[in-house]
Amino acid sequence: MNDRAAAQAAYRVLVVDDDPDMVGFLALMLQREGMSVETAGDGQSALMKVMTSPPDLILLDVMMPGVSGFDVCRQLKGDESTALIPIVLVTALEDTESRVRGIEAGADDFLSKPVKREELIARVKTLRRLHDTRKELESRRLAAEVQRKEAIRKAFSRYISPRLADRIADAAGEHGDPFQGRAQRTSLVALFADLRGFTRLTEQNEVGAVVGMLNEYFAVLTEAAYQHDGTIFNMAGDSLLVGFNVPFPQPDAAERAWRTALEMVARFEPVAAAWQARHGLAVGVGIGICTGEAIIGNVGSTHYANYTIIGNPVNIAARLMQMAAAGEVLVCGPVYDRIRHLLPAERVEGRGDVTLRGKAEPIPVYAVRAGTRAPA
Amino acid sequence: MTDHQLTVTVAKDLADLIPVFFENRKKEIASLRAALATGNFEQLRQLGHRMKGVGNSYGFAAISDIGKRVEDGAKVADKAGINACVGEYANYLSKVQVVYE
Repeated sequence: MNDRAAAQAAYRVLVVDDDPDMVGFLALMLQREGMSVETAGDGQSALMKVMTSPPDLILLDVMMPGVSGFDVCRQLKGDESTALIPIVLVTALEDTESRVRGIEAGADDFLSKPVKREELIARVKTLRRLHDTRKELESRRLAAEVQRKEAIRKAFSRYISPRLADRIADAAGEHGDPFQGRAQRTSLVALFADLRGFTRLTEQNEVGAVVGMLNEYFAVLTEAAYQHDGTIFNMAGDSLLVGFNVPFPQPDAAERAWRTALEMVARFEPVAAAWQARHGLAVGVGIGICTGEAIIGNVGSTHYANYTIIGNPVNIAARLMQMAAAGEVLVCGPVYDRIRHLLPAERVEGRGDVTLRGKAEPIPVYAVRAGTRAPA
Repeated sequence: MTDHQLTVTVAKDLADLIPVFFENRKKEIASLRAALATGNFEQLRQLGHRMKGVGNSYGFAAISDIGKRVEDGAKVADKAGINACVGEYANYLSKVQVVYE
């Protein structure tokens, strides 16, 4: 079989007619053109065949006992999965009303009985070209969509976890860019982490070495945040702000934040040990976590803007982080209530109601020792 | 009665289908007579409609012509007219010669 014949054999036509002589005639004509033909003797069988193995084209008789060609056509065109299959109504009905009924049922073309073979082949070939063009355009559209999503995923994957980037790429097709929306108030969990001993680190090391060490430190923290689908909203100096339940809902946001904190401390411990051995520096990660209502959105000017989170839980998480010792995680009361089932009691210390700097009302604070080493 | 061409030229590639085609036409004559006997005009209309569609697709214009007249006659319950058509059809089938090219 040459390439042309092989390509045409792949084009499958379903011939539906209750007259076996008509079926035989149409099938022979199409097979002579190298097409693959299946047949059905009534409307119901045709519907079954299309559902189990959708053809590329249907030649459909109109006047059949039981389910008529009009009904078959209407059903197939009304079903999203079969609507694009071209249907040619083959009919000996000559009146305008029948043609109108066919058009209303969604038929793509008509072929009059008695069938002239030249007309049959010409119509089938035309529909085939249209079908192939439509398929080609559809595959190009899908390829462009995949490319666009990949570009979005790559752009965002520096700021958020690859899984979240995938979700944003998907959502971009359905609901627009989630980062372009107006600022809104939402419930979230904020996690602030920073490096205890950072000041001494900068004083005792060359700029190049400090940058290298910070990169190592941020790489560890970022990986931990991404592992639990946190979104990084800010990275400044040695501190990192991670949000949960934003921009997509995470019903277990507090648990994710806690696991991220544990992961950050655990992952940084060997790094800290290596720095201590190399530079004689005692460093560690201190973390604050708080939950509540905050504002999420783009903040800044037309020239420079940050997609960020602002509000009470963010401020409290920052204050708690400042109070946390190396290897320690300080959490507010509502976060503690959500994660207490995950905490080993011997590692938790209630600090009572604490009035944080800049806050009028005291809030309950709990300290959890996350690292294997004693808090510095 | 219409004078029909009794020698019909049919495309060679249809040759394998022609014997079955004629068997089905003979069964059609029987069906037409049975429907006439019971006055089943709806069936006569369907049979005529089918003859009209299939006849000239194979190159037999006379079959399509007779089929159309049977279909039209059935719509107005013209029993005598249809009876004449059936006779004409049977006569045609007994005499028609096929030449392949």
